[in-house]
Amino acid sequence: MEPILTVSHLQKYYGSRGNITRAIDDLSFSVQPGEFVGIMGASGSGKTTLLNCIATIDTVTGGSIVIDKQDITKLPRKALSRFRRERLGFVFQDCNLLDTLTGRENIALALTILRRPAGEIERQVAQTAKLLDVTDCLDKYPYQMSGGQRQRVAAARAIITSPALVLADEPTGALDSKSARLLLDRFEHLNGERGATILMVTHDAFTASYCRRILFIKDGRPFTELIRGNDDRRAFFAKIIDVVTLLGGDSGDVL
Amino acid sequence: MFCRLALKNVRRSVKDYSLYFLTLLFGVCVFYVFNSLENQWVMGALNANERNVNYTGAILQLVDVVSVFVAVVLAFLILYANSFLLRRRKQELGTYLLLGMEHSRIALLLSLETLVIGLAALACGLVLGFFLAQALSAFTAALFRIRVEEFYFVFSWKGVAKTILYFGIIFLLVMVLNVVTVARQRLIRLLQANRQNQSLKLQSVRASLVFFLLGVALLAVAYTLLLRRGLLTIDRIFFLMLALGTAGTLLFFRSLSGFLLRLGRSNQKLYYRELNMFVLRQFNSRITTHYLSMTVVCLLLLLAIGITACSVGVNNTVESNVSRDAPVDMTLRVEDYDYENFAQELPGYLARAGFDPETQLTACASVTRYVMDLPLAQPVTVQGEVYEKRAIEYAMSLSDYNALMAIQGKGPYTLEPGTYGVVEGTEEYQAAHLFWEAGAQFVLNGVTYSPDPDFHTSGAYFTSTIRLSDLFIFPDGVLEALSKEQYNFCQYFLAGDYARDADAAEDALWASINSLHTVIAQNQGTQSSSFSLDTYLSLYAEAMGTKLLVLFLGLYLGIIFLVTSAAVLALQQLSQAADNVERYRILSRLGVEERMRDRSSDIQVFLAFFLPLALAVVHSIVGMKAANDIIAQLGKLDTVASSAVTALFILVVYGLYFLATCWSSRRILRGL
Repeated sequence: MEPILTVSHLQKYYGSRGNITRAIDDLSFSVQPGEFVGIMGASGSGKTTLLNCIATIDTVTGGSIVIDKQDITKLPRKALSRFRRERLGFVFQDCNLLDTLTGRENIALALTILRRPAGEIERQVAQTAKLLDVTDCLDKYPYQMSGGQRQRVAAARAIITSPALVLADEPTGALDSKSARLLLDRFEHLNGERGATILMVTHDAFTASYCRRILFIKDGRPFTELIRGNDDRRAFFAKIIDVVTLLGGDSGDVL
Repeated sequence: MFCRLALKNVRRSVKDYSLYFLTLLFGVCVFYVFNSLENQWVMGALNANERNVNYTGAILQLVDVVSVFVAVVLAFLILYANSFLLRRRKQELGTYLLLGMEHSRIALLLSLETLVIGLAALACGLVLGFFLAQALSAFTAALFRIRVEEFYFVFSWKGVAKTILYFGIIFLLVMVLNVVTVARQRLIRLLQANRQNQSLKLQSVRASLVFFLLGVALLAVAYTLLLRRGLLTIDRIFFLMLALGTAGTLLFFRSLSGFLLRLGRSNQKLYYRELNMFVLRQFNSRITTHYLSMTVVCLLLLLAIGITACSVGVNNTVESNVSRDAPVDMTLRVEDYDYENFAQELPGYLARAGFDPETQLTACASVTRYVMDLPLAQPVTVQGEVYEKRAIEYAMSLSDYNALMAIQGKGPYTLEPGTYGVVEGTEEYQAAHLFWEAGAQFVLNGVTYSPDPDFHTSGAYFTSTIRLSDLFIFPDGVLEALSKEQYNFCQYFLAGDYARDADAAEDALWASINSLHTVIAQNQGTQSSSFSLDTYLSLYAEAMGTKLLVLFLGLYLGIIFLVTSAAVLALQQLSQAADNVERYRILSRLGVEERMRDRSSDIQVFLAFFLPLALAVVHSIVGMKAANDIIAQLGKLDTVASSAVTALFILVVYGLYFLATCWSSRRILRGL
């Protein structure tokens, strides 16, 4: 099958000549459609930079990122906005929802900026909300929702456009364990039922254990890769912990 | 080093300062223009004519007084703008404190910045004001139909000094405020300024619908009251009307966003289109904090529009009044003379005093007007009341009236013996001509006079600053035959048009009037007469003085109110844009393009600027309609022309602020 995301020889350097920080140094991997991939690494390992590059929010120094047969590193600025709203979905740790809009409107926003017909929007919002179990939050404002509900509304907004790739940056970072579990449950569901391709950045082993495959990076280079295969989550979690220990990441990050 | 930091800060925050600077510039400019009036060449040209000194003095005095008021308004505006800027820079101030800079040093830094901005604004404003003052002079000259013999640029040192003094005080206040604000800041709050949650108060849409309807109803009541009662009936209901109007405006803005939201949501196609939903929600979320200022701005705009339109419009009214009240060049009135040949001798006295009516007047008439009681032949009912006689009426003989009319090129009129005619004067609500209509018969010296059905004229019969009362015209000889007991007193008038150079003749006439007392005393040994002189030129000058006064003050206050309201709106929009950065960042991540984002930002600014203006325009249309009904009694207020001038003027100033705000807002949101 054609991979949906191909990152090859990606480089991202900060600073100028003589004083260069290599945030990402020669990183290559690919993601097949319908995969649920996690990216793990200690603080400063370059995982968020990687996500920002894939999200077209940041520019790359070298290499290429091909999403859905399009090399996004070569797209002009205006086309990037278009690409973002048509092909990508985002769930971030915080500042996800617009506080002046209700849940319904927040989800609908992703469609309105695509200029979808109004009649279709309401129907799709209701459908997606059901999928993420946020139907009762539709008429609430973000400040009236719990953190978990907010993240699930954000997830609904991310997938409503049926993007080629959903990018999640520490989606459980600000959640208590129960809400985190619920959200990840939904992610798993989306991945299984709708076949959504999800790329999730996290430094939390528990969160990562929901993925089917995990890429570990260290100092901007690939470290190792873990595939869940037929393991149950508990066993996968134990494997992850082993790698994290090996990575030498601060053990405080481990649940 | 320190100064360089201040300069750098100013340069760096040019986008924040641009509107602040624009406001200061306008303030300084307008202030200079009106406070340099005294030295402007047009005032010199006006003062060259001694008769004008009185009202130019009055204008300058009033401008002086109004300037204090204007300075207070500007001071509040500048303080508001400054506090807005300071709020925007909290984190920066926090950094300075964190780096160990003392409070006093920071205060000094801010003061230096204020000084730099202030000096720049003063310099630019004065230069701009210098040119605008010339424009105002030229405009005034055109109004006064003064021939411009020598057009020269005037730099008013007095105006400059006054501007610097007033604005210096304002800047000093700003510095003091800065020091106080900085001294009260705590480091932790400054550093976390950006992270503080803004409380979000959202109102229910249903409540806003009720408020909206209530607001519209209140406005409707106020409008009806205004149109029914007119503008000038000032009593309790007038203030009730003002209160209703204000409350209606307040409710209107309080609920408008909710109403729009409701309206938007009922049209799904519109609501779910690009960022419309976001814009409407955004507007709605702001209204709880902005409706008060929107109301104030709306009322300020109403004042600005009303004052400017009326001051420009009153012009034409005043001018047409002069032609109406002054049909001839001059009228000399002598009250209550009690010696026989005065009428014949007066021209001689005048000639000896330096003004010869024979040569210096082309057409002239010397007439007598009697002030007397007119006994009725039988009681007459006029407007539901029964009259036995008419007390204190004015009467004149036919040939005198014809002589007066001949100067104006009218007449001659004729009267059958035993009849009388009536002249409707310029004074409103006069009853005398109603007696003529009612067929009242008067008895004089035993002869009954009935109204001549064809003799009814109207208009001023000579020049007078006071309104002319109705006048009864009797056949020749009737009034002259009356004995002194039969009338209260009589007045002698000499009316005429100047022969050649009107200005020279006018000056000679005024000079001769001043010495007339002496001349008469020498010839007659009596001084019992009192004189008054009304001339076309003096009426014209007076009317022009009023016109100029109204125009200057109107423009002055109008501009200040306009600038104030536009600046308040602009600053508010900018602070809102700064608050919105985070929201737009989210939108940008979702794939909203720059074009879409700019449009959404522009719409928000447009709503904030346009809505108060729209309501203010509606208010002022109703207000001007009511005002017109009154002014129509004085003459016709030229609403079309004055509205066009006002609209243009407001569009330029307001539009400039609007564009500057759009631009600055976009800049704040750019590069997310």
